[in-house]
Amino acid sequence: MTERTLGGIGATPLSAVGSVVWYRPDDAIDLPEPPASETVDPSAERERFEEARERAHDELETERERAAERVGSDEAAVFEAHSQFLDDPQIEDGVENGIEGGLPAEHAVREGFASGIEQFEGMEGRMAERADDLRDVRDRLVRLLTGAERLDLSALPDGSVVVAERLTPSDTAQLDPDSVAGFVTATGGRTSHAAIFARSLALPAVVGVGDELLEIEDGTTVVVDGEAGDVVVEPSEETRERAAETDRAEVRHEPVTTADGRGIEVAANVGQPVEVEGAIERGADGVGLYRTEFLFLDREDPPGEEEQYETYREALAAFPEGRVVVRTLDIGGDKPIPYLDLSEEENPFLGERGIRRSLGPDEELFETQLRALIRAAGETEGDLAIMFPLVATIEEFEAGRERVEEVISELESAGEPVERPEVGTMIETPATAFLAPDLAARADFLSVGTNDLTQYVMAADRGNERVADLHDPCQPPVVRALRQVVEATEGTDTWVGMCGEMAGDPALTELLVGLGFDELSMSAVTLPEVKARIESVDTSEAEGLAERVLDASTKDEVRELLPRDNEEPNQ
Amino acid sequence: MTERTVTVVPEAGLHARPASQFVQTANEYDCDIEVGAADGDLVDARSMLAVTSLGVGHDEEVRLVAEGDDEEAALDALETVLSTPEGEE
Repeated sequence: MTERTLGGIGATPLSAVGSVVWYRPDDAIDLPEPPASETVDPSAERERFEEARERAHDELETERERAAERVGSDEAAVFEAHSQFLDDPQIEDGVENGIEGGLPAEHAVREGFASGIEQFEGMEGRMAERADDLRDVRDRLVRLLTGAERLDLSALPDGSVVVAERLTPSDTAQLDPDSVAGFVTATGGRTSHAAIFARSLALPAVVGVGDELLEIEDGTTVVVDGEAGDVVVEPSEETRERAAETDRAEVRHEPVTTADGRGIEVAANVGQPVEVEGAIERGADGVGLYRTEFLFLDREDPPGEEEQYETYREALAAFPEGRVVVRTLDIGGDKPIPYLDLSEEENPFLGERGIRRSLGPDEELFETQLRALIRAAGETEGDLAIMFPLVATIEEFEAGRERVEEVISELESAGEPVERPEVGTMIETPATAFLAPDLAARADFLSVGTNDLTQYVMAADRGNERVADLHDPCQPPVVRALRQVVEATEGTDTWVGMCGEMAGDPALTELLVGLGFDELSMSAVTLPEVKARIESVDTSEAEGLAERVLDASTKDEVRELLPRDNEEPNQ
Repeated sequence: MTERTVTVVPEAGLHARPASQFVQTANEYDCDIEVGAADGDLVDARSMLAVTSLGVGHDEEVRLVAEGDDEEAALDALETVLSTPEGEE
């Protein structure tokens, strides 16, 4: 048998080998035609409906508790909404009408939910998601009424890879990370509920594989490669071994040093509050990149100061002894946001985005965000650092910092407790790499975003597979830009970090230490491995490696010099 | 019959958790309660489906109408839900 690969979207950079267990909850709702109405006893059906509803409430309560424990109370809140849909008088009336008209309870349930689902389906954004919630509640009732078996996701054999068309919040909350090796879904994107869940639990997962997935049979061996976003069916021995070897490092909850005692901060990138817990569990010293876009996307109005304040306060409180680097809003013409006037641009990645919008059309949003951030920092023990995205000039950085100063003065005059944050910038444009000495003299820190820096240095779209070979942080011009940025901070009080994907690649840890980074920030899942690597690195040997890499002229030469993936460095 | 107009404080408006809380509170009282946009039609305040479908956002006004023995108490409680920012309940 030969292996074949199905492409999807990697939700976590983890891989696993396992055996496919198909999850098809919708099977329960293939109902036969209802019997003739005169043979149905409405009062008996009413009773069946009530019983099913009671059991559904019990199930939801159990699942809510389990979700609260595993992924936090925000994610668990969805079950409260489900409970209320279950008791909704409008739906109840619909079900009652069906039963009255001679339908068995399960058919009446489908009728009773239909208009509500239709109503939400016609709406936009988060209202459309309510349709999914309603379907979820409906299918639960129908399953309980028909006695259909549902695969118990909380009791799967070890090494199961759950494969499904889609996984709802209630499905994912049941998955037991101790036994499930990973999951794969046909639908969903990087920010789907299932993908977020996978990251918060550090489960290998690939989403959005498409219809090809439906052909895989139960029991088939697969590799879930969340890093590449691939599902390898019938993998070869070699592919299996490679997959099994990821993610084995022991979690270190203390800050680490290199073998010769140089401290390197290892922090987590966070894109959703639910990821904070996973970051702590996997030993993050702090947050090196807290993306704030989640607060602004998928809604009809911008988030107000109070909502933002609460969210930031929680993040800062989670790291009482660490630092949380919050990136101010980074949006532009590539994502539609109904309440912002984002015009379509020919080249959105070279257009009005990041700090360009914050100093222009979104000035008010920017100030609200800064106020919420600085107030939150004043009330918590954790240290706040504010970072601006897509800076290209000194003027932009200075203007951003002035806004921070203005907000601090306003809050101080209002008598609010204020803790002065560090203020720094992303280094993601070649312009800032060239300006690094000037920025290092003005900023408290610089943090390299390697995905965008690579895209702009190499003129290669990060989302275009045809230029993926060019979009590689091991390209010599990128490595040389990195060195130039670090060099600019040497002998200053300005610290330098990296918060791009490159920082989370253990094969590159020694090189990054050798280049002189003070901080590395990555997806929580790779934290233990990178911390382990740092502890085994000797700084002077790493510097030697960095020098040789800086002399290389091609990407292949760079790769040749790097320690092999499965080797410890310096051996 | 008692009626009052309240401004919605939670940032999420009458969605997700605030809506859940609103419906839960409405269910604790015996009187009939209806809710709607200040100038729009009223719907049953006990229906999660109806309340969420109103699509009421942050800072918008809603009209509450209650009829029954505990109407005053019910409107007081609902007003509290609508005037409390999310996360402070």
